[in-house]
Amino acid sequence: MELSVVAVVPSREIEGTYSVRPSDVATCDPMAFGSSRKPILGNDVLKSWADRVRGLGVRSLWLASGGHDGKVDGPTLAKFVRQGVERLLLIKLKSYAEMDLADLVRFHRDRGNPITEAQDARGELGVCLLDRIALHSATDESESKRANDCGQIPYQFTGYAKRILSATERQELVGDGLTGACAMKPLGTQIRDKVWVGEGVKIAPSARIIGPVYIGARTTIGAGATVGPFSSVEHDCVIDCGTTVEQSTILPNSYLAPGLLIRNSQVDGRHLEHLRWGAVADLQPAKLGRRIQPRGSRRPFFNKAKSDMFSGAGGAFPWEFGAAPAMAQPWLQVQL
Amino acid sequence: MGVWRCAGDGTALASGAVMKDVAWRVMNFPGDLGSEGRRALRHDLLSALRVSGCAVIVDLSGRKSLDHHDVDLLLECAACVAGRDAKLIFVAGSPTLRALLEVCRIASVVPVCYSTEEAFSYPQIAAETIHVPAHMKDIGAQQ
Repeated sequence: MELSVVAVVPSREIEGTYSVRPSDVATCDPMAFGSSRKPILGNDVLKSWADRVRGLGVRSLWLASGGHDGKVDGPTLAKFVRQGVERLLLIKLKSYAEMDLADLVRFHRDRGNPITEAQDARGELGVCLLDRIALHSATDESESKRANDCGQIPYQFTGYAKRILSATERQELVGDGLTGACAMKPLGTQIRDKVWVGEGVKIAPSARIIGPVYIGARTTIGAGATVGPFSSVEHDCVIDCGTTVEQSTILPNSYLAPGLLIRNSQVDGRHLEHLRWGAVADLQPAKLGRRIQPRGSRRPFFNKAKSDMFSGAGGAFPWEFGAAPAMAQPWLQVQL
Repeated sequence: MGVWRCAGDGTALASGAVMKDVAWRVMNFPGDLGSEGRRALRHDLLSALRVSGCAVIVDLSGRKSLDHHDVDLLLECAACVAGRDAKLIFVAGSPTLRALLEVCRIASVVPVCYSTEEAFSYPQIAAETIHVPAHMKDIGAQQ
């Protein structure tokens, strides 16, 4: 039976902007700042899923936009029925899981389930298999609800998994990647024990880099700054003089002002989420941080890449979701 | 703004310790200040902090966020009491504000509490004591 695969990217990330306005920051859900397309130690989670899909022998992948939580409604799935798809693997980009997809497919086939949802001890992982019959009966309800209603047995995953929409679990994934506790490796060159840097990184001589730490490509670390341990500064960031980053993640294109103390936090441009206190603070009014323009020109929307770019040097995922006012194309098929 | 006095409340004092009667002043740091209001607040805060032996609690719980003027003023307050016998505590009403105070390192130099009640139970306030060595006590008795 032919298998098609859909990776669902939350729509707000495809739109390229956050729906949270500065005035909402104090009251909004910190989870809203989670992002499945932001790199983790320079890695794209979509690429890790694409590699696993390729391991199934599938040669193409559909990219689709979902709701804010990556949810795809039934009518949208029904489009696959019209295209004659017999079995569909749906991957919502809400988790990083070192899952053997072949084992999931075997489980699904052996059980004869129309729907098989993968879950671990903490719940759904956002990966499910749907047969044609399930696609036919697709409604607005979630896949898991339909599966539960049908009395289906979920696929229990016991391997390594983290929900990447949670800043806390994201930070745990960073720590595990830096210490080798998971298969994800920092994307860069190891210059010292447990210190990885990307290309074009500038580190002032007086800056202190304390491993385990990852510094992404083209990032600048100013004089007297301290980065690490258990920290990740992603690509195109500027950490200004004297600022300390400890047990934190700085997401791409972020600027941090001089003399700050960033501890147990995730910073995305102007927003800081404190992982222990669950608070989201807007750094921009106090001029403590802001988003900086990515280098180079703005990338085109769904910049389709050559088929061999997955295995290219550097391992960067070739599709970047640039800013676009609205979704012009809800589905995009890419060759693996 | 109001003046609060730290009660003795039967706190046990070690031998040779003297309870110092400290008047704690709680000063609000309101939101939506215009330039005039900000100037007046700065004047009030710094005037209070310049008094010798002063003890001030700055209540920021009315604020949802801080801008760079606020951060400047809070740092100025911290600088004003540094190395002096003055006491200063900030009350951050929310985790958001507390995170901001930590990020700009204010929390590293000034104690930060979640509420005025917590501020009053802060160790420095609960037992404001001056330890007098035994031989000094004897000298005082002779005089």
